[in-house]
Amino acid sequence: MWLFALPAVLINVVIILIPALLTFAAAFVVWDGVGVPVWAGFANFQRMSDDPVFWSSLGNNLVWTLIFLTVPVIMALVMAAALLVAPKGRLVVQCIIFLPRILAVAVIGRIFQGMIFSPVTGVVAWLNERGFSIADPLADPDRSLYAVAAVDIWHWWGFLAVVFLAAMRQISIDQIEAARLDGAGFFTLMRYVLLPGIQPTLALMMILTVIWSFQVFEFIYIVTRGGPAYGSEVLATLAYRHAFFEGDIGQAAAVSCVMSLFGLCATAVYMRLQIREGAQSA
Amino acid sequence: MSLSRRQVIVAIPAATLAVALPKSPSIAQDGRKIVTFWFGQANSDGQAALRRDLVEPFNASQDKYLLQLEIKGAAVNNLLKVALVAGSGPDIVQTAGPAYLTAIANAGQVLPLDGFAETYKWKERFLPALLNTGVYGGKLYALPRDYESMHLFYNKDVFSQNGWKLPANRAEFEQVADAALAKGIIPFGAGNADWKGVNEWLVTVFFNNVAGPDNVRKALSGELPWTAPPFVEAVELSKAWYNKGYFGKNYFSLTIEQSFLQVVNGKAAMALNGTWSFGTKSYGMSKPDTAMDVAPIPGLSAAVPGSLHHLACGATLSIAKSSQNPEGAAAVFEFMLTRQFYQEMNRDWPGKWALPVKDLPPEMLKGIGYPMFEKTITAMHDAFDKGQYGYTTWTFWPGATNGYLIEGIEQVWLNRVTPDAYLSRIQTLFAQELKEGKVPPLPQRAS
Repeated sequence: MWLFALPAVLINVVIILIPALLTFAAAFVVWDGVGVPVWAGFANFQRMSDDPVFWSSLGNNLVWTLIFLTVPVIMALVMAAALLVAPKGRLVVQCIIFLPRILAVAVIGRIFQGMIFSPVTGVVAWLNERGFSIADPLADPDRSLYAVAAVDIWHWWGFLAVVFLAAMRQISIDQIEAARLDGAGFFTLMRYVLLPGIQPTLALMMILTVIWSFQVFEFIYIVTRGGPAYGSEVLATLAYRHAFFEGDIGQAAAVSCVMSLFGLCATAVYMRLQIREGAQSA
Repeated sequence: MSLSRRQVIVAIPAATLAVALPKSPSIAQDGRKIVTFWFGQANSDGQAALRRDLVEPFNASQDKYLLQLEIKGAAVNNLLKVALVAGSGPDIVQTAGPAYLTAIANAGQVLPLDGFAETYKWKERFLPALLNTGVYGGKLYALPRDYESMHLFYNKDVFSQNGWKLPANRAEFEQVADAALAKGIIPFGAGNADWKGVNEWLVTVFFNNVAGPDNVRKALSGELPWTAPPFVEAVELSKAWYNKGYFGKNYFSLTIEQSFLQVVNGKAAMALNGTWSFGTKSYGMSKPDTAMDVAPIPGLSAAVPGSLHHLACGATLSIAKSSQNPEGAAAVFEFMLTRQFYQEMNRDWPGKWALPVKDLPPEMLKGIGYPMFEKTITAMHDAFDKGQYGYTTWTFWPGATNGYLIEGIEQVWLNRVTPDAYLSRIQTLFAQELKEGKVPPLPQRAS
């Protein structure tokens, strides 16, 4: 049996475990990426904790996580439930809401940057010409994170809706019809039948959302590159900046370790849930 | 095929040894030694120019070496570092300037060029101010591929229609800018939506043209802290100009090209931009009927009475330590110093390969049909030769300090931190990098 697992184990060791251990080790050295690494103990973590940008980036990651645990999840649940109870045109709607998911992130980023938010070439410019006074949200450090989150939500929520719909379709139709015969409205049905019925899927997606939220990079890097004034900087863009613009691999690795820590916590919660679920079903 | 345990045990060290063994130079089908060269970003025009003006004529010029050029895109600097550490980089190592070269040279990943410099008389031929940016520990590790400077680009039609004269000091600058704002014209077309480095172009101007190049030099040498009053004045002036709307309302939303075209189209009056702008064809500055003109940027304080050029090297050329064909790489460098290459490359891609060589410009540029470029290079060459210049952040600032300089100035302009706090952080980072030997070398001032 172990022989069957060997290719997967080898790939995971070479591609994940060894780089992860090297990254962890790099957090304890001063290294510019080309010279000889010099042991630095906890100096990188000390410098990281003294850097106000690290704390604002961590805060932005937490805000991002909260946004993605709520807004797209609620949108997707409502859409999935609506498609379940009103199946007419389900296929077409699913295709439409899933479409953003198959577009390249770089393309979506450029569309929103140039065709929506731009005060020169975008919808914002068109609105301004018609008397509305709207500023580019990407140019405002207080709003840029939310503007990028809106772009990512547009890209993400359709996928969630399709996943939730697939899970809801596993719920017994008798249960749903019985609830409706008992007079359950849309939200009552959601509260007492659909949500409990998809709880494992919901829990998994929420935990994955936490993990992905701490890894978020591409949308922010493409649309704002963490700016302006670090307004949308997150840990991944900060680590990238340290590694590839400042040539400070140790500092980048220290930030990456913090990112991984949050991912590990979320994974631990998921494992615990799975063990509990396994024990209950046994 | 099945391998026994013994075969596997033997194969692993054998493979390791094979990787560690010195490589033999790659040989082309016609027997010539291959010289590899990675280039960063180049659009289709640029790639065509590289092929037509460099690769093809070099390969036709002799029968010993064959130049192979690879366009690697924007990530070339990161790729290069990894490849050099792995011993698999190109023969010719091109970096995005001395600030990028410092780590590579300090790590000994490139060869000293002193022997070749002796053979080809490079030390006598390059402008010392530029050549010295490639000298580490007394050894020459890189040749400068070009020189650049920040300049004041302006729309002369807008100026003449409004009766404005070209500003010669801060008061006149502000007079023109206020008059432009009153007429609904953006004083300076500027935007960093596609390149955050635009921030440092502006900081370079304010540091040098307000605090003065002597103070900047002292600070880069560690003799004056970045928190000193001249730098506070410089940052405060940049903030005041930003807050007055001198850089327009859409600085963070416009790309470099969009913002410069505002000046070309008369929506903005001026732009503080670099000499690389000459290479962008959409600006139309090579056309005889262009509305654009250019001048060095005047001093913005009593410390800087006249206009100033800013010494910048946009790219360096070195030979990899792991190169099996250093002679071939040096032959390519020597080819770049020929009159034919200089003329053709500057005609096809103005400014990209403005080699700072004593015996080539500026007279070589006459006849390429770009008067504005010719006069700028001539004046810049003269200023750098005489040692009259300021210092650009992308050439002389170390990585982490420069990273914060670029990002942090947005915090100042958007009232997130005070100028004092910004400069204090710069001082902390700079002091650390100075201690670690990460500050690029400063050229000696001409006497």
